[in-house]
Amino acid sequence: MPIKAMTQEWMDAYKAAIQADPDYKSIAKDWEGSVSLVVNPEPARNVPEPIYLFMDYWHGDVGDFVVCDKEKADSAKFVMTGDYARWKQVAYKELDATKALLQGKLKMKGDLPYVVRNIKTVNKVIDILGKVDTLWPDGNK
Amino acid sequence: MAYDSDLSFNYFGPTKIVFGANAVRDVDIEMGTLGGTRAVVVTDQGIIKAGLVDGITACLGGRCAGVFSDVPQDTGVEVVNAGAEFARKNGADIVVSVGGGSVIDTAKGMCILLTEGGTLRDFNGVQLLSRPQTPHMVIPTTAGTGSEVTNAAVIMDKEMGQKRLLVENFNVPRMAILDPKMTEKLPPLLTASTGMDAMTHAVEAVHSIPHEPLTDGLALHAIRLLYKYLPVCVENGSDLHARGQVQIAATMAGWAFGNAMVGIVHAMAHSIGAVAHVPHGIANGILLPDCMEFNLEDAADGYAMVAEAMGVREKGMDDSDAAQAAIRAMREFIRKIGHPQKLSEMGVSGKDIEKAADMSLSDGSIVNNPRIVMDPAEVLEIFQKNM
Repeated sequence: MPIKAMTQEWMDAYKAAIQADPDYKSIAKDWEGSVSLVVNPEPARNVPEPIYLFMDYWHGDVGDFVVCDKEKADSAKFVMTGDYARWKQVAYKELDATKALLQGKLKMKGDLPYVVRNIKTVNKVIDILGKVDTLWPDGNK
Repeated sequence: MAYDSDLSFNYFGPTKIVFGANAVRDVDIEMGTLGGTRAVVVTDQGIIKAGLVDGITACLGGRCAGVFSDVPQDTGVEVVNAGAEFARKNGADIVVSVGGGSVIDTAKGMCILLTEGGTLRDFNGVQLLSRPQTPHMVIPTTAGTGSEVTNAAVIMDKEMGQKRLLVENFNVPRMAILDPKMTEKLPPLLTASTGMDAMTHAVEAVHSIPHEPLTDGLALHAIRLLYKYLPVCVENGSDLHARGQVQIAATMAGWAFGNAMVGIVHAMAHSIGAVAHVPHGIANGILLPDCMEFNLEDAADGYAMVAEAMGVREKGMDDSDAAQAAIRAMREFIRKIGHPQKLSEMGVSGKDIEKAADMSLSDGSIVNNPRIVMDPAEVLEIFQKNM
């Protein structure tokens, strides 16, 4: 049963999927720090308001995975911002997150070299995201 | 070279180019086309001593808001902050940078602070800006960095002990004036090393994962021009035709790598630059052939195009043969222009390369390399070949 994207239920499912992944713990052993995703509103795609998602990653473990307010999102070590359609492309792996940053399709507040050094972790969590059975606000492909 | 049937890319290159001997005399007219009324000139002491700034400030006349010339070889956060403060105090609404990479990157940082306020430490991230920044005209005095047309700047933050990478589409220079006379006095070694910086940009743009037809076209023509004219410039610096062709090549390579990105050569050059202060162009030039060798299996089709651009692909060669011909020709080219051959010539030690090999894996460039690199031992081996 697909879960509505960017809801708390969906965040719980995403966290559970990461915890259940057999490789995640070892791949992400060096990563420390929280990541927020800010989804810019796109009313035409049924995203009328900005959505803030906070995820806490720590050396292969995961902590808080919550839909939050702007203030909490801004407190993350890395804050990544983009239009809803871009995030959906990332989830479907139609858009490479690093390339999107360099092309200005996504914005990131935080230390780029750190992200690059841990690119396998980033790719892994995106892989897992794509496996969460998701119902997108503007429909699935 | 075949491209994927589902090829998709963004190409971004908004900089206006003004080219020609004595084109800098139009700096005041061109400044007006960008809406500028008072220009701060950003440069360094070497450029001032070479007499390259006087003509520009004379052309600007009363519209020159002042000259900020305190830019060191590797610029830093404090330099940018001081430059922006200087420009602000003097009422500048446009920045004219006259120099090489460090000067241009300083000016890029200043443009952000002039528009957004604050200090450079307030901008830690990628593509954070959401509006056009203070207009920036670049007058390069070297032909290599390509920074006159790219969205990136590298600024040292001594307090944090790291280089800050600014990547902002809203901060690409609006205009570059390429005047061959501005590079006429560049000595042979600097001509060769900055030229090899441009050559490396071009080759890396061809082999990088995000390369596409537009960037390939720019990069390959840059290689043609560099291969033909860089030796002429090294031999006879006052050949303005050759100087101009190399300037154009460096700018084309800048557009190419600014969109297609760079790979392992830059990751290694950045790292050995940080560890042992090897000048960027020299590190690129020394490392390029062995990095091509390293990538050979994954980038043979791209290097075959490089071979064609260099005119060394012979009839009957398949892509792999042609790629190897390109690598041989690149080694010979570097010798021909009198470029340093080994990192040990630059005072690099065994400990330096071990540290740099580790650092290379966290450089942003490495993710675009055609051959995936996950083990610092692979990088160390390339470094060792060049000791």
